[in-house]
Amino acid sequence: MDILHNLAFGFGQALTFQNLMYCAIGCTVGTLVGLLPGLGPLATISLLLPLTYSIPTGGALIMLAGIYYGAQYGDSVSAITMKIPHASSIVACIDGYAMTLKGKTGLALFTAGVSSFIGGTVSIIVISCLAPALGEVALLFGPADYCALMLVGFVCVSFVTTGSLLNGLAMCLIGVLLGQVGTDVTSGMPRYTFDLPSLADGVGLVSVALGCFGIAEITKNLDEKQQRTPFNGAIKLMPTWPEFKRIIPSALRGSIVGSALGILPGGGPVIAQFAAYALDKKVSKYRHEIGDGAIEGVAGQAAADEAAARTSFIPLMSIGIPENPVMALMMAAFIIKGIQPGPNMITEHADLFWGLVASMWIGNCFLLVLNVPLVRYWLSVFKIPYYALFPAILFFCCIGTYSVNNNLDDIFITSAFGLGGYVFMRLGMDAAPLMLGFILGPMLEENFRRAMLISRGHFGVFVERPISGTLIGLIAAFIVWQLVVFFRSSGGGKQAAAETGGHGPAEEIKTA
Amino acid sequence: MTDQNLARGVFLAAVSLAFGLGAYMHYPLGTFNRAGPGLFPLMVSSLLLVIALAMIVRSRFVAPIAMHFSVKNIGLLMVALCGFATLSKLLDMAVGITFMVFVAGFAATSYSFKRNCIISASLIAVAFGFQHLLGLNLPLF
Repeated sequence: MDILHNLAFGFGQALTFQNLMYCAIGCTVGTLVGLLPGLGPLATISLLLPLTYSIPTGGALIMLAGIYYGAQYGDSVSAITMKIPHASSIVACIDGYAMTLKGKTGLALFTAGVSSFIGGTVSIIVISCLAPALGEVALLFGPADYCALMLVGFVCVSFVTTGSLLNGLAMCLIGVLLGQVGTDVTSGMPRYTFDLPSLADGVGLVSVALGCFGIAEITKNLDEKQQRTPFNGAIKLMPTWPEFKRIIPSALRGSIVGSALGILPGGGPVIAQFAAYALDKKVSKYRHEIGDGAIEGVAGQAAADEAAARTSFIPLMSIGIPENPVMALMMAAFIIKGIQPGPNMITEHADLFWGLVASMWIGNCFLLVLNVPLVRYWLSVFKIPYYALFPAILFFCCIGTYSVNNNLDDIFITSAFGLGGYVFMRLGMDAAPLMLGFILGPMLEENFRRAMLISRGHFGVFVERPISGTLIGLIAAFIVWQLVVFFRSSGGGKQAAAETGGHGPAEEIKTA
Repeated sequence: MTDQNLARGVFLAAVSLAFGLGAYMHYPLGTFNRAGPGLFPLMVSSLLLVIALAMIVRSRFVAPIAMHFSVKNIGLLMVALCGFATLSKLLDMAVGITFMVFVAGFAATSYSFKRNCIISASLIAVAFGFQHLLGLNLPLF
């Protein structure tokens, strides 16, 4: 009953004219920008974050959430119609694009839209039930536990987003180091500021995000000489009844998988869509068709994608720890608006929390209306040639940077991070873990110093406490597993080389 | 050919040394129970250095990957952005926008003076809208 009461309270907050408008704007703009190939949810939120500065707190958060799941959906449209995915829509490329090749683009888009709606609805029920309970658990956390939880997040995100633990961890650590720039909160001493007043408060989040994602992404597209191929195919949206019946079970399965995986550290849409796709391939009645353009191949992953996107708000809002880079950016948005996400958020800002939860469902309805009947009009975005689009994106990056402090010097910092983002890209390093490290870095330092102060400098505090001990144990087990995999694969490589003539892998490489 | 794996390790080692030496030489380290401002960055950069060294060693055992780095486009965008900021500061944002569009235009697959004029005019109109409708304090006119 409490949940129903809270949800009714939330709908009361979300259904004001202003909040409805912000939700609709967020969903529309998010979908539009997300449609542009190469711009995923992280880049979209980075680009549009400055838009919310002059908006009241509740409306700003509702709009940002709308931008997030709007971009998530828009991203899958570009994957289905043009096979140009971002991280959150890789799986949509497989069966979605195969359906496009068969002339079933409309059906694929309808399936993605309806499945996203189902996934979103299931996840909202999960959020309403779990977030308050998890908030109470979070009160048991001490500084050492928070440190361990953040480290678990780093390890999971590093592995999941980049596929390479070393690369991802390195990016997280660079992010943590960048987070050290500015004034040390304990001693008041400036660190790495080079006596520049503009760095006294640290590097701006918007500069890092726009540089590493916006500008680096534009340069990558220009390097690839990207030319948009306008999508002019005819679209028949409405499915037949047998086709519609195939969507529901797969979407429900995907919703459950996505809701569960969205909560885990490092989880979120990317891993959820793969898991849902794999599950459908195992249990679906039409599993033999998956891979060649089956409805189930689109429905399950789309529902999981949307469900995970929403349930990943749970750790952020109830414990105060973002579990993926997009949530780290959302956390920054909360903090900019003066809200500290964490166990007290639900009690102290019940209106914001339940308003946001309710707005997610309203956003779901907006997305359904926007995306199912209107998708044919959205596709005209693809007709904008890139040579006209990229100067506009550059301009919005500049305005976004400038509007934070009304300081044109910040654009130089954004440019520097643009160059940094490009170097990372060319070195094969994903910038997403850097964002997580950058946002969590100061919090990690604060909790680490506090834990060491309480334990009088003994590192044992991290393994003696049950929560941190368990989490550190998990990290250790994961690292050992990775080492075993590495040595086994390199051992196997050597054995194979010996069988083919005694050359080690390195020698083979050099001779090649 | 530059090996991407090796370049990555060297780059990370350089970053870790820059932060680590900076922390060691310029900020008090303190002790673990009363950490100074330099201790945490030194710990993190040491960890990063270990990862960088592991990557450098690992690059000897895995297939090299060619690293592609095109200076032209990123260089043009940097000049466009810095020019935008400088000209907006010294003259007017409209001049900055025009400069940015015309310089960044060289990075596109084709270049058209007329097209750049249209894009510049449209973006100046958008900036004007931001200034007057959203109340952004832009150095425009």
